[in-house]
Amino acid sequence: MPTDQNNTTESIIEVKDLTVGYGSNIVLQNLSFSVKRGEIFVILGGSGCGKSSLLKNMIGLYDPPCGSVLIEGQNIVTAEGDARQQILTRFGVMYQQGALFGSMNLLENVRLFLEEYTQLNQDEMSLIARCKLDLVGLLPFESFMPSEISGGMQKRAAIARAMALDPDILFLDEPSAGLDPITSAELDQTILSISRNLGITFVVVTHELPSIYTIADRIIMLDKDTKGIIAEGDPRWLREHSDNPQVRKFFNRGADAAHDTNPLQPATIPA
Amino acid sequence: MTQPISMQPANDAPHALADWHCDGAVAILKLSGHLNAHTLSGLWSKAKDDQRAWLAQSGSGSGSHLTIDCQQVTYLDGAGIAFIIDLEHAQEAAGGQLTLANLDARYQPLIDQYRPIANLFPSADTNHHVHTSLIERVGRGAYDLAEDAKQQTVFIGQIASSIGWAIRHPRQVRWNDFINVAVEAGVAALPIVSLVAFLIGVILAFQSAIGLKQFGAETFVANLVSLSIFRELGPLMTAILLAGRSSAAFAAEIGTMTVNNEVDALVTGGIDPIRFLVLPRMLAGLLVAPILSLFSDLIGVFAASLTMLAYQIPFVTFYEAVLKTIHINDIMSGLTKSLLFGLIIAGVGCLRGMQTGTGAAAVGLSATRAVVSSLILIVMVDGLFAYISYKTGF
Repeated sequence: MPTDQNNTTESIIEVKDLTVGYGSNIVLQNLSFSVKRGEIFVILGGSGCGKSSLLKNMIGLYDPPCGSVLIEGQNIVTAEGDARQQILTRFGVMYQQGALFGSMNLLENVRLFLEEYTQLNQDEMSLIARCKLDLVGLLPFESFMPSEISGGMQKRAAIARAMALDPDILFLDEPSAGLDPITSAELDQTILSISRNLGITFVVVTHELPSIYTIADRIIMLDKDTKGIIAEGDPRWLREHSDNPQVRKFFNRGADAAHDTNPLQPATIPA
Repeated sequence: MTQPISMQPANDAPHALADWHCDGAVAILKLSGHLNAHTLSGLWSKAKDDQRAWLAQSGSGSGSHLTIDCQQVTYLDGAGIAFIIDLEHAQEAAGGQLTLANLDARYQPLIDQYRPIANLFPSADTNHHVHTSLIERVGRGAYDLAEDAKQQTVFIGQIASSIGWAIRHPRQVRWNDFINVAVEAGVAALPIVSLVAFLIGVILAFQSAIGLKQFGAETFVANLVSLSIFRELGPLMTAILLAGRSSAAFAAEIGTMTVNNEVDALVTGGIDPIRFLVLPRMLAGLLVAPILSLFSDLIGVFAASLTMLAYQIPFVTFYEAVLKTIHINDIMSGLTKSLLFGLIIAGVGCLRGMQTGTGAAAVGLSATRAVVSSLILIVMVDGLFAYISYKTGF
């Protein structure tokens, strides 16, 4: 949503000296970065580098061994009780598998958080929920159960549910995973349109290169070996100019693969 | 008519205000403050009530004109936009007009993206799940029942065939799975079976003693209780516990595998899921139900003998009476029943698991159906057995 102070350089999330890990297994160490209000910020990296773990620390699901995550100035790591509840209403989360509640239809899924957090009546909540479903193109499916719709639609419905309380920030965990290229591109367009029209800040975890080039304003790349950030900035710029060979390799893999000759195809003989 | 409506919180939290003015067919709603899902509660419905009353009062809705003045609006989110759309829809439905005045330009696209707004208000005929008539529901229910009976018959045939296969190919049976299931369903169930059997023995002995004492016949408690436990209560209580414990577990386990396409993977890999998943569980059910039942009988009779000490009936007297009363036929009758109960519990659990639909709720439903179906079948078989016993003396 457009805000009172629509300052695009203002940080909405600040991660300071964050260490991510389970027990003695440290996955990421001393991470510091910030996310600007209204931007689409992508966390990327190879499999097992701790992208999803970082996201879960940022949304307060896991307690990090040390460090802080400030969401609109409030530290979610140390917040408790009402203060924590207050922070939780500031953002919505879309999980990798959608995580829609199977016993509720799409409208009820979206309405659930409105029922929990507001005093609006049923008709008012339903209208707000329908608006959210309309934004992701699922209004005609409002009475469908999650099991009756496709994986891509489930993810879009999960985005609608995450937007129910009009959060300032949306966290998306691997939105394109398991989707075909067309559905994935449609989902990217949904994210772009929500970001541009509503000014919502997106934090997206993904390693799908086409998605990254389409939606990302800024990225950070995580690395398993150094347990930290190895690149930060515009993905298109990094692809061309990064000094780090690992970063170039990550970004150019898609382009190289596209230009590679398919070894299964017979070579074309020039006339 | 002027009616300010306010949502003013006690602290400095954002708040909203709606000021309603109307004069004949013209009305102005002045909105101010921070319009979101929290500040709109109460304000929204009050504004709608005022609009409804005004439209009814002004007589002809078609000539009515509502202006929403947003000059003082500092923030408008999705809920605020839905509020404005709701007022606009009511206005359109009455044939009137609505004008948005002084709305910050940045909010206009947020409202426009929902146009035409009529789509946001479903008519009754667009509901995906249409209501069906009573006759149709009865018909569907009967069809589902017949379909379920058909599936159960087919399943019984498949199990019989796989048991025949197991007898012919004993080395190919997954004995490791059988042992794991038998341990989980049998050994792990010993504490709960012991507890329930002990308490049933105590309760039965006390209740019987209260009645028989009136005739000075407490010494016959041993005969009554032991016969009831060996022939009826031991097998039945064990079966009920197994149905709640193992039938539900089988249904949930196989149901989760069905949801995760693991059963499909077996089928496409050329492995019969009945032999792979159901057979080890059926065999385990056949083994553990009679053993647990016998164990439960012994615990129940022991508990009853302990209880009768309170009535000055020593162990020796009690067990002499038990040995005189109980014949091998009584024990075999109970064990035969528990063998059938074991088949029912394992079979129904596996069948309901295989019938699982999609999603987490479907797994829960399968587990519930497994327990309910098992209990119904157990009671039915028990009734049938009682009739056979009456007729044949077995």
